[in-house]
Amino acid sequence: MKETTVERKYLPEMQQKEMDELRNTVKVASEKIIADNIARMKKADPHRPDAMKYFDDIANLFGKRQQEIEAEKAKGKKVIGYMCLFAPTELITAADAIPVRVNSGWYDTSKLGDRVVPVEVCPVIRSTIGAKMIQLSPFLEQSDALISVLTCDGMTKLSEILSDQKTIWGMNVPRVKDSTHSLRFWSDEIKQMKTQIETFTGNKIDRKKLKESIEVSHRATKVFRRLQELRKGNPVIMGRDAMLVNQAYSWDDKVRWTENAEKLCNELEARAAKKDWVVSPDIPRVMVTGTPMFWPDNWKLPTLVEEGNPQGIIVADEQCSGERILNDPIGVDEWSMDDMLNAISERYLMASTCPCFTSKDGNEDRINWLITKIKDWNIQGVIYYVIRGCMLYAMEYSRVKKALDKINVPVYYLDTEYTREDVGQMKTRVEAFLEMLNARVDF
Amino acid sequence: MGTQRVKAVVLKDGQVVGRSQAFAGFDPTKATEQAVAEALTQANLKLSDVQHFAATGSAMDMAPYEHSTVSMMSADAKAGVSLIPTARTIIDVGAEEARAVRCDERGVMADFVVNERCAAGAGAFIEAMARALEVKLEDMGPLSLKAERASPINASCVIFGESDVVSLIHRQESKPEICRAVFDAMADRVSSMIHRLGVNPDVVLVGGVAKDVGFVASLNRKLGLTVKIPEYPDYVGALGAALIAAGRVKGGA
Repeated sequence: MKETTVERKYLPEMQQKEMDELRNTVKVASEKIIADNIARMKKADPHRPDAMKYFDDIANLFGKRQQEIEAEKAKGKKVIGYMCLFAPTELITAADAIPVRVNSGWYDTSKLGDRVVPVEVCPVIRSTIGAKMIQLSPFLEQSDALISVLTCDGMTKLSEILSDQKTIWGMNVPRVKDSTHSLRFWSDEIKQMKTQIETFTGNKIDRKKLKESIEVSHRATKVFRRLQELRKGNPVIMGRDAMLVNQAYSWDDKVRWTENAEKLCNELEARAAKKDWVVSPDIPRVMVTGTPMFWPDNWKLPTLVEEGNPQGIIVADEQCSGERILNDPIGVDEWSMDDMLNAISERYLMASTCPCFTSKDGNEDRINWLITKIKDWNIQGVIYYVIRGCMLYAMEYSRVKKALDKINVPVYYLDTEYTREDVGQMKTRVEAFLEMLNARVDF
Repeated sequence: MGTQRVKAVVLKDGQVVGRSQAFAGFDPTKATEQAVAEALTQANLKLSDVQHFAATGSAMDMAPYEHSTVSMMSADAKAGVSLIPTARTIIDVGAEEARAVRCDERGVMADFVVNERCAAGAGAFIEAMARALEVKLEDMGPLSLKAERASPINASCVIFGESDVVSLIHRQESKPEICRAVFDAMADRVSSMIHRLGVNPDVVLVGGVAKDVGFVASLNRKLGLTVKIPEYPDYVGALGAALIAAGRVKGGA
C-alpha cells in the first residue's frame, strides 16, 4: 500500500535527511543493544543450548527476518502487521499473507513520539509513533496494512495517528468480555476482518487453508507448552532465554519457529534427565506479570533479576509479550468454516486476561491463571511490572495483591518507563525483593 | 554507605564496640576506610581482626574490604528489631532517600517501599531550606517546635525552596512557622509512602533525619502515633549490615 498523500492529521513533516540520520543512529544503537543482551544471556549459561543460536539470530530485528519478508513481498505476498494479541493471525496466514507483530521496544523513539503526544501517554505508544516518524521498524514499514485493536486509550488514538501513513483496520473489542452479546459482536468483527483480509490480499480463505493455519498454531502451542513445562522443575533454561524464544514467535515464521523450539525442548529434556541445572535450584523463582516487555530495550527487569545479587530466575510470566501469546489453543470441534470461525472468535476473546475488560468477578481469569501458575511452577515471588502510563495494569494491582496475599505469595509493584536512567533504582528494589524471598525460604 | 555520609559499625560478640562516620564526598571508598579505621581504634581492634565486612547503602558497591553486600531494607529490618524488639515498621529517612520496611519479630522483611525520586521527602530538603532561611541546620528542628501553625508553602519542591522562602518572609511569615511547614511537607511525603506499605506498630524511625526533633514531631502528627527512635539512629543501617555479617560468618546466608 503506498504512502497516503492526503494531509496528515497528526504526524509532523520531517525532512528525509533528518529521518535517515535519526533512523541510522537508533538502528545502530539498537543492534548494539540486541548484541549486548544476547552476550549477557550467553554469559549467564556457559553451556547454553545449541538451539538458542537460531533464536539469537532471529532476535536481530534488522537482520534475517526483515530480509526474508522483503523477498516474499517482492514475490507479491502481502504483509499484515498487528499491534495487539487480539489480531487473528490464523486468518492472515490462511490468506497467504505474512502476519507480523509491530509493537515498539525502542526507548529512543519514545522521545520522538513526545513531539506528537504528551509524555504522560503510554511509552509503548509514543515509541511506536516515533518509530513510524523515522521509519525505523522493519516490520511496521513492511506492513501493507495494520490491524489495530482498540483495547485501551493509547491503542485507540495510535490507530488514528498511524493512519496518516498506513492503512489501518481497527477492531472493536467489547469492554465486557463475559456476555453472549459481546461474543456475538466480536464474532462479527472477526467475520468482517476475514472479508477485509480476503479483499485486500485477493485470496479467498477457504476451509482447507484455514484448517492448515489453525493446525500450525496448534503445533506451536504444543511446543510452547512443552517449553513452559520444562520450566516447572529445577532450572534447565534461564528465564531470559525462554522469554526471547516466546516473544520471537510474534515476528518469526511460525513453522520454522516451531521446529526450532522442538529442538530446544529436546536439548532441555536431555539436561533435565542428567540433572544438569543451569543455576542452583535454590535461587528465588520469580514470575513477572503486567505490561508487556518488548524486545530489545525492555530487557532491564529480567536482566536485573537474573544477574542480581542475590540472583533470581524468572520461571514464568503473565504478559502479552510472553506466555500469553501462545498459551491457549483454538478449540475446534468440527472443521467447518463456521465452527472454525467461532472457535477463533472464542479463543481470541475469552482466553484473554488483559485488564482492558471489566467484569463483576474482577478479571478472575487472570487471578486464576496466576494462582495456578504459582502453585504448579513453584513460584516464590511475583513482580508486578507496570510501564508508567498504563492505567489498566496499574489499577488491577490491588486486585492481584489481595489475591496473592491470601495465598501468602509476595508481590512487588515495580514501575518503570522507556528509559535507561532508572536501572540503578530498579536494581535496589529488585535485589531487596530477592533478598526478601531468600529470607522467607531460610526460615 | 549513604549518599552524604558513610558510617561504620564494629560488632564483637553481638555488642557494638565501635562506630564512626565520615562525609562520603567524591571518594566514598576512602571516606569509608577512614570511618572503619576510626571505629576499629575505638574497639581496640585491627583490620585483620575483622572476620566479615558487609556493606549496605546506595554506594555499597564502592565499599572497601567488602566481603558481601546487603540491601538497606534487610539491614534496617534486622537492626530495627534487634534494637527495638517490638518494631514491625521501620522508616529510614536519609539525606536523599527515604524507605520503609515491614517485618516480623525475627527481623525478616515482609514488604518494602522506597522513594528516591523526591528529595522533599529526605534530609536534602531541610538543608536547602536551612540555607534559604539562613538558619543553622541543627536549629531548624527546635525552631519549628516554637510554631503553632505551619506557613502555607506553595511549592514544596526542593528546587524552588529558596525562592519560596523569600516570598514567605515578605508575607510576614515567621521563621518557626516556615520551619514547621518544611517538616510538615516532608512528613506528608514520608507518610504517604508508608501508607502504601501499611502502618504496622510499633513504628520505628531511623536514619540521620530521625535526629531532627522538628521532623519527628511532624511525622508523629501526620501518622497519628509516636514513632520510636533508637539510640544512634543514623547508624542503624550499618548496624544491620554488621548483624547480617555476623550471621554470614556463622555460615548463614
